[in-house]
Amino acid sequence: MVRAVRPTRADYYRALADSLPPRALVVTSLGNASYLWAATHHVPENFYFEDAMGLALPLALGLAMAQPTRPVIAIEGDGALLMHMGALVTVGAVNPANLTVLVIQNGVHAASGGQALTNAGLDLAQLARSAGIARSDNITNPETLATRMRSSATRHGAECLVLATEPDLDVVRPPLGLDPVLTKHRFMAAIGAPRYVPTLFGGGKLEGT
Amino acid sequence: MNGVLAGRADAHRPSEVFNTLKRLGFGAVVSVPDGWLGEMLVRIEDEPTMRLVRATHEEEALAIACGIRLGGIRTALLVQNAGVLSMGAGMVSLAQRYQFPLLMLVSYRGTPEDPVFYHVPKGRVTEPVFRGIGLGYTCVDRHRPIGPQVEHAATYAEEASCPFALLLSREDIQW
Repeated sequence: MVRAVRPTRADYYRALADSLPPRALVVTSLGNASYLWAATHHVPENFYFEDAMGLALPLALGLAMAQPTRPVIAIEGDGALLMHMGALVTVGAVNPANLTVLVIQNGVHAASGGQALTNAGLDLAQLARSAGIARSDNITNPETLATRMRSSATRHGAECLVLATEPDLDVVRPPLGLDPVLTKHRFMAAIGAPRYVPTLFGGGKLEGT
Repeated sequence: MNGVLAGRADAHRPSEVFNTLKRLGFGAVVSVPDGWLGEMLVRIEDEPTMRLVRATHEEEALAIACGIRLGGIRTALLVQNAGVLSMGAGMVSLAQRYQFPLLMLVSYRGTPEDPVFYHVPKGRVTEPVFRGIGLGYTCVDRHRPIGPQVEHAATYAEEASCPFALLLSREDIQW
């Protein structure tokens, strides 16, 4: 199949929704990374960013460490990755086998209107490999993304897939409000995260600790 | 509160900080070190009940800590005050906006008791910046045992659902 242009974010998201591993937890970066994912596949196990550019990946790293038996998928933009590139190094150092990093490489700051990146042509997969994430590849079509997501190969570390993507500058209206505190509580309830027991009730700790 | 009166003001204060984190069930510490924190981090790294993450930047460390807490593990940040100055955006748009309870143990450099010329500019603005970004904090009282002060700060973070910083002197944290 010959494509005149790169696939869109929507193309990749449809493939991802169809190939998500069981019990997956998904952390999405700001802008359409979150809004379109909410429109495509809203479930309680999604954690949506609407700001805090560059921090979706490190948050997903922490989540992957805390939930080692569940696949954690971080969807980050290339601009956000450049903003906190050190996080890629920390991912490489911790290297959790349950973490998959999907980088939307569209060459622009899409969430703020499409301004050019500092360097739109970086080989981000090569960069990720240099940072210690051995399973890092550039991906140019949704079918390959789906194949990689369905792969049952044993992993010994994190994976980073860089998705060549056509910019999408029109803001997608999500099907629900992404209230941050509601998002957090819904997510934590869905994964059964232990509650904090207040000191008034003899606690002062998380349940079970 | 459990054990708040335990300990003595003249006990080895870094040990008290470490033991309090263990007793309260902190399973993870995320850090960018400074000169006072180095040995404490080694002790945490050797502690089987805790996981240490060495981040490259304090704002990144903040996000990692939020992620670990989101996943259900009590988490502390161990950073220098300069690191809090450089994490302002993440503090307000992630940690505070989503109401993540995080204990922040912060080495307070550049005070009159730490008059290192390159730390002084950071020490001078630390508390005004904390107030400016709405970060709750308190300075450790050196005349009182440190363990209960760590516990109170940790409890405040959880019960107020927000990050809370405890500003530490050298004797509190340098092993």
